[in-house]
Amino acid sequence: MNPLVKRACLMAGGILMILTFCILALLIQHRSSQNASAAYTAFIYQDGSLLQSIPLNQITETCRFTVNAAHGGYNIIEVSPGGIAIAEADCPDQICVRQGQITDSLLPITCLPHRLVIELRPSTPAASASAPDAVAY
Amino acid sequence: MHTRKLTVLALFAALALAIYSVESLLPPPIPLPGIKLGLANIITLLVLHLYSARDAAVVLLARVLLSGLLFGQAMSLLYSLCGGLLCFVAMALASRMLHRHFPELTSILGGIFHNMGQLLIALLLTSVPGVLAYLPYLLISGILTGLFTGLCARFALRYLSRLL
Repeated sequence: MNPLVKRACLMAGGILMILTFCILALLIQHRSSQNASAAYTAFIYQDGSLLQSIPLNQITETCRFTVNAAHGGYNIIEVSPGGIAIAEADCPDQICVRQGQITDSLLPITCLPHRLVIELRPSTPAASASAPDAVAY
Repeated sequence: MHTRKLTVLALFAALALAIYSVESLLPPPIPLPGIKLGLANIITLLVLHLYSARDAAVVLLARVLLSGLLFGQAMSLLYSLCGGLLCFVAMALASRMLHRHFPELTSILGGIFHNMGQLLIALLLTSVPGVLAYLPYLLISGILTGLFTGLCARFALRYLSRLL
């Protein structure tokens, strides 16, 4: 076989392998996010530090609050029973708003321009037994 | 000869800028950070295959600077620069290894490296390890969009190599 074609085949094989691993990783992620118990806690990070954590099963009605970014700009976060979303933001790409509400730990919401990340993780029994450290509306 | 090359490269840079601006008007296909079609990469691929890595770098730089000047999003320029740089280096190496015969493979590698660079920047900026959950999505989208732009470049090359 001509060495060029061989090289191309090797490269294509490598790409296919990456693709297979990714699909497997997706399936595993999907399954583990579905299997977890229904109670989640939302962790809101800004510039890498935890801003606040909200146990979503203790939320009884939908409410909104604003998070201001360090370099100007804002995100309005909407918390509802069992889910969290960014309802409004003044970032240029609006990706965080378009991602909509998340209700499981599959993917975090990220607003890269404002360095904001919202992650859902299953509430640990210890954490849900005690009262939340801080809940601001 | 030199004037001809200069003109063609300038045309490619203008074309890349036009494609880039049209693409920025379209809403992102999937609302996840870092996922985009990267249509302007078709031009980079074409210059890489028709001329050299150095010429492609010049065209890419011209496009990035002009788009920064015209559309002025300093922060998003920073993210795309890191991904763009990684993407370009990967594509230049790949097209050299493959003797410019497989634009699809070159482009797929570029897509993968572009999205890895984006994720790296996201990880550095937010320093939340949770954003790594995007990795498989970004890799798959990089492969698919890379395949698409690579095929576009292949069909364009069929005609362009006759004209130039």
